[in-house]
Amino acid sequence: MSTKQDQCHRLEQGGRIDRSQPLTFTWNGKQYQGYKGDTLASAMLANGIKIVGRSFKYSRPRGIFGHGAEEANALMQLGVGKETIPNPRATQIELFDGLTATATNGWPSADFDLMEWVGKIGGKMMPPGFYYKTFMWPEKMWMTYEKFIRKAAGYGKASLEADPDIYDKLNRHCDVMVVGAGPAGLAAALEAGRAGKRVIIADEQDEFGGSLLASKQTINGQAAAAWAESAAAELAAMDNVLCLSRTTVFGYYDHNFLGALERRTDHEGMTAKSGSRQRIHRIRAHEVVLAAGALERPLVFANNDLPGVMLSGSVATYINRYGVVPGNRCVVMTTNDSGYQTALDITAAGRTVVAIVDTRQQPEGRLIEAARAAGIVIKAGHAVIEAQGSKQVTDALVAPIDAAGEQITGKPVSLSCDLIAVAGGWSPVVHLSCHTGSRPQWNDTIAAFVPGPSVQRQHLAGAVNGEYTTVGALQAGAQMGALAAGSEATTSYDCGDESVGLAQALYLVPHTKPVSRAPKQFVDFQNDVTAAGIELANREGFESIEHVKRYTAMGFGTDQGKTGNINGMAITAKNLGKTIAETGTTIFRPAYTPVTFGAMGGRDIGELLDPARHTAMHPWHVENGALFENVGQWKRPWYYPKAGETMQQALNRECMAVRNSVGILDASTLGKIDIQGRDAREFLNRVYTNAWSKLAPGKCRYGLMLKEDGMVFDDGVTACLDDNHFLMTTTSGGAAAVLSWLEMWHQTEWPELEVYFTSVTDQWATCSFSGPNARKVLAKLCDDVDLSAEAFKFMDWRAGTVAGVKARIFRISFTGELAYEVNVPANQGLYMWQQIVAAGAEFGITPYGTETMHVLRAEKGYIIVGQDTDGSLTPQDCGMHWIVGKNKDFSFLGKRSFTRPDTSREDRKHLVGLKPKDPTVVLPEGAQIVPDPKQPIPMDMLGHVTSSYWSECLGHGIALATVKSGHHKMGDTVYCPLADGRVLAAEICSPVFYDPKGERHND
Amino acid sequence: MLHIYCPYCEEMREEEEFSYAGEAHIARPLDPESLTDAQWGDYVFFRTNPRGLHHEMWNHAAGCRRYFNVTRDTQTYVIHETYKMGEQPSVTGEKP
Amino acid sequence: MTSMQTPLHNITLPASVSDAGVVMREDKFRGHLNLRGNPQDAAFTDAVAQVLGVALPLAPNTSAEQGSTRIYWLCPNEWLLLVAEGTQGQVEADLRAALAHQHIAVTDLSSGQTLVNLSGAKLDELMMKSAVYDCHASNFPVGKVVQTTFAKAGATIYKCEDGSFDLVIRRSFSDYFFLWLKDASKEYGLSVI
Repeated sequence: MSTKQDQCHRLEQGGRIDRSQPLTFTWNGKQYQGYKGDTLASAMLANGIKIVGRSFKYSRPRGIFGHGAEEANALMQLGVGKETIPNPRATQIELFDGLTATATNGWPSADFDLMEWVGKIGGKMMPPGFYYKTFMWPEKMWMTYEKFIRKAAGYGKASLEADPDIYDKLNRHCDVMVVGAGPAGLAAALEAGRAGKRVIIADEQDEFGGSLLASKQTINGQAAAAWAESAAAELAAMDNVLCLSRTTVFGYYDHNFLGALERRTDHEGMTAKSGSRQRIHRIRAHEVVLAAGALERPLVFANNDLPGVMLSGSVATYINRYGVVPGNRCVVMTTNDSGYQTALDITAAGRTVVAIVDTRQQPEGRLIEAARAAGIVIKAGHAVIEAQGSKQVTDALVAPIDAAGEQITGKPVSLSCDLIAVAGGWSPVVHLSCHTGSRPQWNDTIAAFVPGPSVQRQHLAGAVNGEYTTVGALQAGAQMGALAAGSEATTSYDCGDESVGLAQALYLVPHTKPVSRAPKQFVDFQNDVTAAGIELANREGFESIEHVKRYTAMGFGTDQGKTGNINGMAITAKNLGKTIAETGTTIFRPAYTPVTFGAMGGRDIGELLDPARHTAMHPWHVENGALFENVGQWKRPWYYPKAGETMQQALNRECMAVRNSVGILDASTLGKIDIQGRDAREFLNRVYTNAWSKLAPGKCRYGLMLKEDGMVFDDGVTACLDDNHFLMTTTSGGAAAVLSWLEMWHQTEWPELEVYFTSVTDQWATCSFSGPNARKVLAKLCDDVDLSAEAFKFMDWRAGTVAGVKARIFRISFTGELAYEVNVPANQGLYMWQQIVAAGAEFGITPYGTETMHVLRAEKGYIIVGQDTDGSLTPQDCGMHWIVGKNKDFSFLGKRSFTRPDTSREDRKHLVGLKPKDPTVVLPEGAQIVPDPKQPIPMDMLGHVTSSYWSECLGHGIALATVKSGHHKMGDTVYCPLADGRVLAAEICSPVFYDPKGERHND
Repeated sequence: MLHIYCPYCEEMREEEEFSYAGEAHIARPLDPESLTDAQWGDYVFFRTNPRGLHHEMWNHAAGCRRYFNVTRDTQTYVIHETYKMGEQPSVTGEKP
Repeated sequence: MTSMQTPLHNITLPASVSDAGVVMREDKFRGHLNLRGNPQDAAFTDAVAQVLGVALPLAPNTSAEQGSTRIYWLCPNEWLLLVAEGTQGQVEADLRAALAHQHIAVTDLSSGQTLVNLSGAKLDELMMKSAVYDCHASNFPVGKVVQTTFAKAGATIYKCEDGSFDLVIRRSFSDYFFLWLKDASKEYGLSVI
């Protein structure tokens, strides 16, 4: 049973936690207690947990290092089973009752890790570029290496079960988007909100206030945290302001588009009780105020990764915000005044500051005086050059250094301590600005990169712009908020004396040994990149910072180098004898912190992933047992198996029904475009290969559309409804593309042609029935049209009444049989289908799907654009010379390309039929075709099988294929060598296998 | 995610509503049959693909279905102007 | 008439809830006519106004309404006419007669699309989930009409006098539309009237 005494590092009072609400959590199988308001990290520190994981490459013990997004070590495996979440940072997990977490690595445990010993030996064998150097050869060893590395490396594991939670997205629009709710962000949002603008303010933490929540300053006479609370309350009360806490703006994209992830219920438990667990806000903002703040920079010294080495500001935050002191005897190392405030906070918390180790030779000023007055030992002109201890800090090795921070100038002494707080200065959070393509710029005054010029409507306020005082952040926030809102700032701020002395720009702390021999000096904790590693990379000739990054893997972790990158760049600059400004910086890509795939997917998953389009007859198909095939977004009946039937048996039955009696197909999905205007014919002449000038009302014609390169792009039948009125059909998948194509030519090249196009795909439902008995079926339903073969010919259409419904009847055929397509307004589509099925019952009318349609059309050698063609076949390649108009006035789209040398050569691939030598064989679609399978590899390739089916009516397999010079190779034998070793022989033949004279559909 | 002003709908719309339609101001030759293969090939296959200012066509596919022109910087994605079909760009990168 | 079925006839209704945050109502069998013509030509606009009893809206994203006829601007030379159920054939014939010899097009789309009204206390949030377009009142006043996307389908969205939205959706996408609507409004409750 846990007790409060377990929280040995918890202060009796202070902080923003609620001591009346104790919460129990489990870490690595052991129960602990924390309080409402804790993060997992603060609760772990309160309980004296030092080691939270093992490092990536060397398996060194690591402890909590920061307090927010910058944390590189404390990656957790949160929860178990299907609920588990890999790799959230303990510093950003709000504690809830019953929380369970384990270390993401370390075996058998984070405390005792076998890999540490491998790391200790292997470290020398794993220099930067290790992967490139080692795994280049021998090639066959890669599988062995990889298995080893994958097992040893990496962090958390994703669940293999379905995520029980849902995630969603909202599209948001605002006048002013404020990123960050620290002093600058709050001040900006207040101004924009008071100006009446639509404002969104987002902050990753559970409460607004940022650094103010851990500050002891005052703002206009009010305690900083209290001011933050009242500012947040004022914003929350404004109807025009949306306050999003627990919301990380993870990406800043083009034209002021931002992605923000809101963790709606993560603080309550592992899964949401109702609604979505996380929500992405897709925000389009007119103006953006970036008030993302700054992250503290560590210093690079020997063994600086030992548990017990922490960022100075984080130590202060744990004390002031969470009432937790991470150590009892603390050494503060600082290059600037901020470490002094931490030392004062530690002292105020009743713990010992062993010394402030200031790298500056003569620090002076307000805070230094205060530290002296508090009796704290100040060792100016000194640095901690090495942390000592095996699994946690026990001593700090401190030595005097020269003013430049490059040389040790005296004998090191060892100071006993359990915490080293490191203040290396601040790095503005330039990440979001980088996302938009803006390159950070070096600012010498603050020795840091700040966001560079942006092409977006972006304003910077506060620490993100290098303004580190609270009053400066507030004033800048107010100004930028007002600027973004087009108003004047309403408030000015006073925070008392915030004066600080000059900071020293120091990154790598010298050691008594050279970098290559000193104990490891870490730059990037997540990828175990050391100063020595960077030095080696530079020595090997990697000078561009982007190359150094990739060679060493610096900044590649889930923390994206938030703390390590600047130090790495500074070390590179020094090695190369350049300034940091000259060396430059890498830039950051989204996401600022990791975003779950669940949130990325939102609700666009499962059956909502892609719209399923249905025809009016869809319910009938479902009721009658159809299996469905995706055609574009359409669900089309594939075939209708009866009980006990195999697929092939069902297809054979459906095919024979059409050949011998009558079958019915839902053809509603064909694209339909209504074309009106006196230039409609001329337009058709230009976009189709054949002539349309003389097509009379009541007639239909098949057309082929080409792209300008002469290649087949779409096909379909177009009917002349009236002199200036046509109905074009397209392939089911090509409807939208064809309409766009027509519109493009009309709008961009031929606006003078008087023609309008309107999509009527959804307006008309199409029942296509086909077979020798088709006329008898229609005759039962229609008595106002002369259906005789003489009066209503193949490729005619008639307006008539079918089953009492006004319909357009087209006599066109894709099966080779006598066929009618009855088009009715889709509201009556299902009714019409049912009437035809009922009328056909006496003839055994059989519904058939796309697969049977494919077999029937292949028996006739009719192509399917997109299956038998792939954008590389001309009409001539397809054997369709007959459809190319020779005497058209206008040089129709694609025509000129026919005479290009490549298009007109004789050895192009041609579409032909293939008849397998073994009649029982069905060639696999996609099979490669060769002239001689005994040729050594690589053998000559002729083409491939595009369509292949068993033809029940012919009693043998049939195929369509593209074959080089195929039209000149009729009767030749070719071969399909298969992966399983079989070689199938086939004879090249005409693609028309059935009724080559077309007597049946003319019947 | 681009934010594009449709010159026909006369307001800003989200990129989801649009589709890209290639380089603008490439007129179809009036008499293709009189062109050499090289000239025709140039028209069919070759595009400028610049780094920087680019005049391109977009289609307001989910909106008014009009094609229009956009002057966009391919490096920064800044859209300098959009203009109707048949109009000429005012931002060309050339000094006046 | 039993032979007629609206695009949304096949939906599975959600369990009924008393305080639904989102309410859907299909305006069944409304007449939908697509009209094309030259807005600069007074002969065209005058003749259309004569037939419909209301002038075509010529400004982008606007609409006009007169009795049971409502007109949406779709593009500079295209309009959607919403007319009373069953009158579309007569309106089409009247337009063709009045516009004879002009360069126009009239196309009946009454079966190809349907009109759906969405309302309710949670309408704003539902629209934010579904539409990339900014449906906030400051950007979407009453009478405005916008062709945009709704989830992954297209929609023509119109703001009604009472603050609700009328959506024109295509028939083949209507099952998907309803599936999305049901999912998006799950946390608010959906009522179909």
